[in-house]
Amino acid sequence: MLSDSDRETFGAMADVIVPAWERMPSATAVGVHKGLLDAVLRARPDLSEGVESAIAACRGVAPSKALNALFQSDRSAFDAFTLAVTGGYYMDPTVRGLLGYPGQESPPYDPMETPAYLTDGLLERVTRRGAIYKPTPR
Amino acid sequence: MAEPKASARPGEKADILIIGAGPSGSVAAKHLAQAGFSVVTLEQGHWPDANNFPGRKPEFELLSQKQWHPNPNVRDMPRDYPVDTSDSDINPLMFAGVGGSTTLYAGHWTPFLPSDFRVRTLDGIANDWPFTYEDLLPFLEEIEHEVGVSGLPGNPAYPPQKAFPTPALPIGKVGRKAAEGLDKLGWHWWPGTNAIPSLPYNGLNACVRRGTCMTGCPEGAKSTANITYWPHATKAGARLVTGARVREIEVDERGLATGAVYIDENGRERRQRASAVILCANGVGTPRLLLLSKSARFPDGLANSSGMVGKRLMMHPFSAVLGVYEDPLDGWQGPFGQMIDSFQFYETDEKRGFVRGAKWGAMPGGGPLSATSFVGSRIFADGGERVEDAWGENLHKMVDRRFNHQLVYGIIGEDLPEESNQVVLDPKLTDTDGIPAPKLLYRCSENSANMLKFHVDRCLEAVEAAGAIETHVVHQVRDTGWHLLGTTTMGADPRTSVVNEWGRTHDVPNLFIFDGSTFPTSGGVNPTATIMSVALRQTKHLIANRHSMEAA
Repeated sequence: MLSDSDRETFGAMADVIVPAWERMPSATAVGVHKGLLDAVLRARPDLSEGVESAIAACRGVAPSKALNALFQSDRSAFDAFTLAVTGGYYMDPTVRGLLGYPGQESPPYDPMETPAYLTDGLLERVTRRGAIYKPTPR
Repeated sequence: MAEPKASARPGEKADILIIGAGPSGSVAAKHLAQAGFSVVTLEQGHWPDANNFPGRKPEFELLSQKQWHPNPNVRDMPRDYPVDTSDSDINPLMFAGVGGSTTLYAGHWTPFLPSDFRVRTLDGIANDWPFTYEDLLPFLEEIEHEVGVSGLPGNPAYPPQKAFPTPALPIGKVGRKAAEGLDKLGWHWWPGTNAIPSLPYNGLNACVRRGTCMTGCPEGAKSTANITYWPHATKAGARLVTGARVREIEVDERGLATGAVYIDENGRERRQRASAVILCANGVGTPRLLLLSKSARFPDGLANSSGMVGKRLMMHPFSAVLGVYEDPLDGWQGPFGQMIDSFQFYETDEKRGFVRGAKWGAMPGGGPLSATSFVGSRIFADGGERVEDAWGENLHKMVDRRFNHQLVYGIIGEDLPEESNQVVLDPKLTDTDGIPAPKLLYRCSENSANMLKFHVDRCLEAVEAAGAIETHVVHQVRDTGWHLLGTTTMGADPRTSVVNEWGRTHDVPNLFIFDGSTFPTSGGVNPTATIMSVALRQTKHLIANRHSMEAA
């Protein structure tokens, strides 16, 4: 169970990993240290240990300095932390909207429709070059 | 063997015991049951529940990197057995459950080519198969109509054959982009053939292009045996026991297989007797079980008088080439089977400095986390000495460049059989039932290294011809041992092979192996189509020769 202080430390470090940039919000602006972090750890409880280690190692230290030290000293905790941050960030609907990512959607298509590659010559050029396999030797 | 009956009650001796309900075991179970044999299949995993597949969930990408990762050592689930990979260049990938590892496959449907069966004659290496492409073709065509393959006929990389049962899936913007590059170079490409129907077929729904094929299809639209085979098998009387982890195949005083001992879901030891046994546990699980089945009569493991059980492991060295483009490619849309493939450099050309070749498959880029990863593994991550080199604003810039703008070519190179590459029993590691786990001893050969280097260089030419503004290459990706082949090799000579051309072991007349471990060579393609076709060929031979088969 993460305390408010833990989440504050997590958020400060998360903004080093995902700062505000051009049209994109920062990690804490979309709440990666709040509900998104809970959602990430529900989906990936195996990340909890690394996230807690990262928070413990970085508490009270300037975020960038702390993360660079963690990057050198405990790569496993660093990897768990960065995945928790980015996993939560890219699940956020606002972030997805800004990236133009609708999630794993199911776009409609007609399997009976003649594809463009059959009418514009793209595949015909392959066919015209003929067989390329080596037949069974007789 | 006596005239068979339709089904075996629990505890009753069966005509046929099959170990493993993956693609090969399921083909055998269905056809044997329909031919009137009583069939019991033991499967260590469970029935997959499509509601558990993560593809529709917002956490999809996170889950694909752990619970649905293809590497059992990463998943670390109770039904997975661990594999010691400390002495292997490649990690084996597999899944325990009804449908086997196809639960997590991409559905690339690429049968072996004619030359794959004749590498000794054509290239002077390894062994010819005991049968030819033409011998296997009728079984392949039958399997394709059971599986529900989608594709476009006329591919000049293959001899002519029957049309596929459903039309090709859309190649999408990703496939179009890849094809344009190959077209500029005058190289072969063809719309992807996939074990994913574009129309409802044999219990399968039509593909909806969700693009999450490799974590289980939540739409029921990827062909796996739990959908396309088991309803028919059970209707014909076949019995399937899940959560059943086989520990040993037993033999009688005549040296015939009498059945298997297994550990059930509750940890109890049970025994299933049968007149004949068919192993279908994949190229790691099958030799593991034979090596576990030692006895006074078979001190080196069952069916191992040749010493070849576990040897000649082939896993297909694999490299990945990522291309980034200015145009948006709708890169999260599926199928995550292949959009297009290319066999331009599949056949041997000795001037290249290696023998045999590789197939390329173009696949979409996936969601934002996939800007740095491929099938759950973070292989395309940028490096740097400081955190800010790859994160911070640089993360935003990288995602902006790549997400929705990338495609990935997977290059599958033919792996040549070498006796030093093998599956052995680990002296310490065990599964959750205390059964010794397998250990892999595997090194990529010089031929493989030269082959992948050549193919990566050509593939870079192709992605650049299509206008790539950024490229990345990962040589010999470690988490790519999807194809586990060769470890109980097929041949005519009992001194150098484990099974004959019909999958019957030379040493035990009523013990058969129908999975990919019998393959004398690996081809340079995804092998499921050939595994299932060979299983059907062997099954039909067993059925036709039931009266002359020795039985326990």
